[in-house]
Amino acid sequence: MSILYLLIPLGLVLLVLALWAFFWAVREGQFDDLDTPAVQLLLDDDAAPPTDPAAHESRRE
Amino acid sequence: MRNAVVEESCFHCGGPLPWTARPTLEVDGVPRAVCCAGCAAAATLILSQGLGRYYEFRESPGPRAPGDTRDWRVFDREASLRRYTHERADGEREASLQIEGLHCAACAWLIESSLRRVSGVTDIQVNPAAARAALRFDPHRVSFGAVLAAIQALGFVPLPLAFTAGASADVNAERRTALKRLAVAGFGMMQVMTYATSLYAGAMDGMAPDVEQLLRFVSLIVATPVVLYAAQPFFVGAWRSLRARIPGMDVPVALSIGAAYLWSVVATLRGSGTVYFDSAVMFTFFLLLGRYIEMSLRHRSGLQHDALARLLPESVLRLRGLGTERVIADELRAGDRVRVLPGERVPADGTIASGTTEVDESLLTGESLPRLRAAGDPVLAGTLNLTGPIEMTLERVGQSSTLAAVARLLERAQGSRPRVADLADRFAVWFVSAVLLLAAAAGLYWLQVDAARAFPTVLAVLVVTCPCALSLATPAALAAATSALAREGLLVTRTRAIERLARADCLVLDKTGTLTRGEPRLEEVTLLDPRLSAERCLAVAAALESHSGHPLARAFAHLEPAAQASDVRCVPGRGVEATVAGVYYRIGRLDYVLEACPDARTRAVAPGDEERTSVALGDRAGLLTVFHLTDALRADARAALERLRSLGLVPQIASGDRPGAVAAIARELGSLAQRADLSAADKLALVQALQAAGHRVAMVGDGVNDAPVLAAADVSVAIGSGTDLAKVSADLVLLGEGLTPLADAVLISRRTLRVIRQNLTWAALYNATAVPLAAAGYLEPWMAAIGMSMSSLLVVLNAMRLVRRSPARVVRLHEHTAPAGAHA
Repeated sequence: MSILYLLIPLGLVLLVLALWAFFWAVREGQFDDLDTPAVQLLLDDDAAPPTDPAAHESRRE
Repeated sequence: MRNAVVEESCFHCGGPLPWTARPTLEVDGVPRAVCCAGCAAAATLILSQGLGRYYEFRESPGPRAPGDTRDWRVFDREASLRRYTHERADGEREASLQIEGLHCAACAWLIESSLRRVSGVTDIQVNPAAARAALRFDPHRVSFGAVLAAIQALGFVPLPLAFTAGASADVNAERRTALKRLAVAGFGMMQVMTYATSLYAGAMDGMAPDVEQLLRFVSLIVATPVVLYAAQPFFVGAWRSLRARIPGMDVPVALSIGAAYLWSVVATLRGSGTVYFDSAVMFTFFLLLGRYIEMSLRHRSGLQHDALARLLPESVLRLRGLGTERVIADELRAGDRVRVLPGERVPADGTIASGTTEVDESLLTGESLPRLRAAGDPVLAGTLNLTGPIEMTLERVGQSSTLAAVARLLERAQGSRPRVADLADRFAVWFVSAVLLLAAAAGLYWLQVDAARAFPTVLAVLVVTCPCALSLATPAALAAATSALAREGLLVTRTRAIERLARADCLVLDKTGTLTRGEPRLEEVTLLDPRLSAERCLAVAAALESHSGHPLARAFAHLEPAAQASDVRCVPGRGVEATVAGVYYRIGRLDYVLEACPDARTRAVAPGDEERTSVALGDRAGLLTVFHLTDALRADARAALERLRSLGLVPQIASGDRPGAVAAIARELGSLAQRADLSAADKLALVQALQAAGHRVAMVGDGVNDAPVLAAADVSVAIGSGTDLAKVSADLVLLGEGLTPLADAVLISRRTLRVIRQNLTWAALYNATAVPLAAAGYLEPWMAAIGMSMSSLLVVLNAMRLVRRSPARVVRLHEHTAPAGAHA
């Protein structure tokens, strides 16, 4: 069972790494907004330069 | 001649379209109608930037675009830059904005994409969950005011937040800290549970003492940050509630976590006895999860901004010597002389020095008709100057103004309510005290009988009675209900509203702006003279009324004016006279128009009923037309009320308007009970009388004068288009323009209540069986912890049923798409 003396500390190291990664992500603001990026993916597709502003000219009837 | 109002909706804001000529724009080759020049401009801008996908992906139509180009240059002043922005080390400036009208991810995307094209804006992050934007810009390349103007051009209203308040940072910081705590507890729990399982298995099958000691030490290492860092809020809360002598739920929580941890530390160091790290850590994690859900809800409602500041103008024209300067409201002092132009809000209480005007005081007094004010008259902060420019001397500024007093009244009304709401907390005090007593009694008993069993028993009692199911069940159900309600178009600002909405049996509705759209619309044109066509009369009226700030003039705002009016003279309270294409006209009250033509043959005037408001148009020769205006019912009001009635709510109208107008609306809605001519105090009395009679009152309103009433009602709903102060005091905010979601909300809230009851029943049953077992010493703490977790899990899963899409929603979606298709 002496392998435990290696594996358990190794598990602890992984735990610390995971926590560090999570803290980093939180600090970077990855969790600040969980809604927008999902939609952004779909939206950005169309964010082409202005096509033809004249075609969208508003006019009154 | 009668012209029916065609009911269609605006492409940009989804609002109703004006009665006649409406701007249109071409979207993908299809002409689409918009309601006003503001929406047309916003939509054109969005489409021309290639951001048209916004319209496909937004969850619901946005607010009507503010067409008026406000003067944002005042934000470039040194004082306002100091107040609203913060200079970074690299010379760029940071600002935090609250954005009105921002409600979904697509809106956030739109603002970000468009603003990033503005040269000088180095970064903008929009968070729809908090309706906030974090802006960074280079003041040498773009001015703060220009950035704000660019946001408004998209149809949203930016409100810079005072930088010192740092409110926006707080929201993010709180969320981040909570997430970190949750992560520490979650990761810790996973690890400690692994070790604990091995330890339990080892205890049964035999385990080498050195391995056992290793597992205990590792558990100690992992559990320490969980208890010291993640569980910190519970210790702080327990300490605070003990100092206030009101034992809350935090006390037994802190006690069991702290005791389990300390006991285990001692056991580990001594190398004998059982460890309870698993119980302590699991307990912490589940409780933190509940707190996190609650916090997210609180942030989502996101309306904690200083509401008072919003009713004051951002900028004021201050007289200085012979000239004027635009300053921000903060810079004003008592004794200053300021000029307030028509359409601006009065910045502080004071006296008019010169000028005559009409003032809309409805925000403060509930008086819906404008008041005539002349030199020497007092005017109040937050009221709206309608017709003429005035110069005034300020007397009470900022916190000493009447507006501030109303806001304080509002706070008191809100503050008085929790007495009922705190029932749950009072129950908690009893529950907590009982648990503590029971644990102590069990401990004492076992000390006599079997001292070694005493601590595990006490811990098992504390853990097993952990109000997890109690403290997690309700928030979980409320969280699920909140997201279901948000999908229906209702924002929940206080979760207890859901429970109260479910129990409400009485519905009090404001009329103007709630049942009706809150703006006058042309309903009928009575031609009195064959010299002019109806179209010509409307065009002339539009030309004249474009110079008037009177609310009724808005009914003509959508029409194309005949020509530029010249020699315009506005007579406050009476009407407007001007020359259009060489002909002299007057529009306004009948007597005012008739004064211009004393020798005119008297013409038959359509019998003016008091249900409608009339505006007359005439020239030197006599009356030309009478326009009848009404404040039209919201299209869905009747159907929505019918559904609410079928759900057992008794609706009634409480309005400050004239009896005739209220009666007409009530009749149209199918003989509703109605009260007219009510002041804000009368409405408050009405609500309180209903409550005294044992009714649970739901109040729907929009005006700020409704705010104290909204606060006094058991549950309050504000219409999204209403004023912000009302929003803040309301429990629920209707995001769209209609009342339809309200009935669905009642259904959802009732289902929520059912789920909460099931959950509480389950929690009670669980406690009733587990507590005696634990006190009798049959339960090990780890069993108690697992039992507690399972009961929590069951409760959360039960709550998740609320998120399922209701069939009613699907039907409504179809109804929504049909008219749009027909229109296209």
